[in-house]
Amino acid sequence: MSDERYVEIFNLVKAYPNPFGDEIKVVDGFELKVPRGDVVSIIGHSGCGKSTVLNMIAGLSPISDGGIIVANKEIDGPGPDRAVVFQAPCLLPWMTSFQNVMLGVKRSYPHASRQERKEVVEASLIMVGLSDAMHKYPREMSGGMQQRVGIARAIALKPRMLLLDEPLGRLDSLTRMELQDVILRILDKEKITTMMVTHDPDEAVFMSDRICMMTNGPHAKVGEVMEIEFERPRSREEIMETDQFYEYRRRLLAFLDECEHEKEARKKKVG
Amino acid sequence: MAEKTADAIKYKILRFLDVTGFTVFDPIVRLAFREEPKKQLESIFKFLIIPIMFICFCVWVWWTVAPNHKTKSGEVPTPDVVMQSARINHTFSEREKTKETDFLLVGEERLAALAAVEAEMESKSVILAELEARLAQHESNYAQVLEARLAPLQKELDEVKAKYDAIEAEKKVLITEAAAAIEAGTGTTEALLAAIRAEGIAKDESRAAESIIKDKIDAIRSDKYKPLETARLDVNAVADQIQFLKKRVDFLSQSNRSMKVLEAEETLMEYQAKLAKATTAKAALSEAKRVVRAEDSIERLEKQQYASAMTVYLQVKRSIFTVFVGFVVAAIIAIPVGILCGLSRIAMACLTPIISIFKPVSPVVWLLIFQIVVGAFFPDPESHPFFLFFNSLPFIGNLGINPALIFSGCTVAMCAVWPALVNTALGVASIDKDHINVARVLRLNFWERLTKIIIPSAMPLIFAGLRISLGVGWMVLIAAEALSSSDGLGKFVWDEYQNGSSFSFANIIYACFVVGIIGFCLDRMMIVLQRFVSFDESGTSL
Repeated sequence: MSDERYVEIFNLVKAYPNPFGDEIKVVDGFELKVPRGDVVSIIGHSGCGKSTVLNMIAGLSPISDGGIIVANKEIDGPGPDRAVVFQAPCLLPWMTSFQNVMLGVKRSYPHASRQERKEVVEASLIMVGLSDAMHKYPREMSGGMQQRVGIARAIALKPRMLLLDEPLGRLDSLTRMELQDVILRILDKEKITTMMVTHDPDEAVFMSDRICMMTNGPHAKVGEVMEIEFERPRSREEIMETDQFYEYRRRLLAFLDECEHEKEARKKKVG
Repeated sequence: MAEKTADAIKYKILRFLDVTGFTVFDPIVRLAFREEPKKQLESIFKFLIIPIMFICFCVWVWWTVAPNHKTKSGEVPTPDVVMQSARINHTFSEREKTKETDFLLVGEERLAALAAVEAEMESKSVILAELEARLAQHESNYAQVLEARLAPLQKELDEVKAKYDAIEAEKKVLITEAAAAIEAGTGTTEALLAAIRAEGIAKDESRAAESIIKDKIDAIRSDKYKPLETARLDVNAVADQIQFLKKRVDFLSQSNRSMKVLEAEETLMEYQAKLAKATTAKAALSEAKRVVRAEDSIERLEKQQYASAMTVYLQVKRSIFTVFVGFVVAAIIAIPVGILCGLSRIAMACLTPIISIFKPVSPVVWLLIFQIVVGAFFPDPESHPFFLFFNSLPFIGNLGINPALIFSGCTVAMCAVWPALVNTALGVASIDKDHINVARVLRLNFWERLTKIIIPSAMPLIFAGLRISLGVGWMVLIAAEALSSSDGLGKFVWDEYQNGSSFSFANIIYACFVVGIIGFCLDRMMIVLQRFVSFDESGTSL
C-alpha cells in the first residue's frame, strides 16, 4: 500500500438528470491524491460541489462516474472507516453525549468488552474536552459542545479517513477558533487522513497540509492544489505572524476571485 | 440554607405543574414562596380569577335558563339538582357497600351489628311517626288555607258561568226566533246565520273568561307550600332510611351468608339422620341423593359473594377497564403497523385504501359487526373458560367480564386504531434525514436503526396519536355501551333515559360531567406520558 496514494480520486463525476433526459454534470473530472496522514481542505465558492464530492467519498451520495479508492479499496456505500462530521451536529437528541458516541463504537468494535468500549468512548470525549459533559443531553449543550460530541463520535470509530463537512460553519468565530485548535490537536496526535470542506480561507490555511481549490460549477473540478508548508504542530499565534500565511491566503483569494470573474464572463457570453 | 431548600421545593412543585400541564397554578406557588407578589397577583387575576368568573357566569346562565324549558321528563335540571343526584348516587353506592359487609359478617360481630341496626331503626321509627304527624298537621292546615284562597275564585267562576249561561240561553232564543221567522216567511237566512255566529262568539267568550279563572285556580293549587314540601321530604328521607335499615336487618339475619350456611347445615343433618334410619333401598337412595345435594349447596353458599347492584362507581370502573382493553389492543396493532407503513412505501400503498375506507366508518356499525362476530366465539358465555378465568382474577373479577365487554372493547379498538396508526406512520416517515445519514455512516443494522433511531425519533408523534386514540376510544365507548347494554357509564345513561324517574334527567347530566372529567383525566395522563417519552422539552397543546 503506497502511503503517497492513500486516498485516490480519479475522474469523479456527479451528474443529475434533468427532466428532459440531459444530464447536468455538477462535478466533472475531479482528481486528487492524498498521502496518508495528510489534511486536505477543499475550498470553493458555495454551490461549486465541494460538499457533493465529500458526500461521494463518504458514500452517502452515489457516484455517477469515476472512482474513489481509500486504502487500496474502492469505496462502496458509507461505512465507519470514513467517519463524517456533518455541518449540523446531527446528534440523536434522546441520547446523552456518551450514548451518542457509543452508538458507533458498538459497531466498529464488535469484539471489545463492555469496559473497553466504555474506555474508548470516554477517551474520545475527553479528547474533545467534554469530560464534564459526558452524560448531558444535546439540548443541554451549546452548539459548540454539540459539535465536539460530533467530532468525538467520528474519532471514536478509529476511521481510516475523517471527512469534515464544514464542521464549524455554524459556529461563532470564537468557538470556531477553539474547535479548530481541538481538531488540529487531535489530528496531530492520531494522524488521521482528513478531508475538510470549508469556505473560510484562514481556516483552510491554518489547518491543512494542502488546499484543493475547486473551480465553479457546473463541471467543477480541481483548479489548483496548494501545499502549505508549515511545521506541525502549529500554533495560531506563530503562523499568523509569518508573511507566508498571508501569501497563501492571498493566493487562495486570488484564485477564488478569478473563478468569480470567469463565471461572470461566462454569463456575459451566454447573455 | 433554608432558603435553598425552599427554592428546591418550589422548583419541584413548578416542575410537577409543568409536566402535568397545570401551569395556570404557577403564580399561586410562586406567590406562596413570595416571588414578585405583584406580578403573581396580576397573573392570578388574569388567568385564574377571570376564567373562574366566566365559569360562574356560565353556571348562572344554566341556572336561570334551565327551569324555563319544560320537557316531557320535567324541567331541565339546575346545577343544585344535578349535585343532589350526585349525592344520591353516592349514598346508593355507600349503602351497597354496607350491605355487602353486612352480608359477610359472622358470629358476634353480626349480632352486635344487628342489635345496633335494630336500635337505630327503633329511634328512626319514632322520628318518622313524629314527622308524619307534623306532615298531617301541615296538610290539614294547608288544606284550609287553600280552601280560603280558592273560595273567592270559585265563587267568581260560578258567577261567570251563570252570567254566560244566561247570555247563551238568550242567544239560543234568538236563533229559534230567527228560524221561526224563516218558516213564517218574514225572516232572512242572513239573520239566522248571524244569530248562530253570535251564539258561537258568546260561547267562546264564556270559555275564555272561565279559563282565565280556572288558570288562576290551578296556579294556586300547584303553588308549592314550602313547609309542607319540606315536611314531605323529611318524611320521605327518614322512610327511605328505615327501608335501608330493614334491608340491613335482613342481610344481618336471614339473608346473611353464615346464617344461610347454618340453615343448610341443619337440613343436611336432618337428611343425614334420615339416611341413617333408612331401611329400604329406595329410601336410602333418595336420602343419600338429598344429602349429596345439600352438601353441594353448602359448598356453594360458603363461596357466595354479595351480588352488588350496579352503582355509578362500579360503572365507571368497568368503563375505564373496557376503554383500556380497547386502547391497548389498538396500540398493539397500530404501532407496529404504523412503523411498517412509515418504513415501507409498499406497505403504505397496501394499507392506505384500507385505512381511508375504514377510518370514517361509524362506531355503531363496528359495534354491530363485532357483536355478531364475538357472539359466535362464545355460544355459552356463562361457562366459557375464557370468562371464567377472567372473572376469577383479583381486581377485575368483580367487573363481570362478558361478551358485551369484549365487543365494546373491540369497537373502541377499531375506532382508536386509526389516529395512532396514521400518526405513527407519519412519525416514522418524517424522521430527520441527518439522523438517517448518521445511521448509514455508522452502518447500523436494521434492528439498531429501529430501536435507536426510528422509534425514539417517532415517539412524540406516536404518543400524540395514542393520546387522540384514547380520547376517541373514550367517546366511542360511551356510545357503544349505551347501544350494547354493556355495563358502564353508557349503560348508566341509557338506563336513566329509559326508566324516566324524577331524577333521570339530572342523572344524565351528572353522567355527562362524570364522562367529561374522566376523559379529561385520561387525556392528562397521556400528556404526562408524552412528556416523559419525548426528547424535546416543548410543551404539549392542551
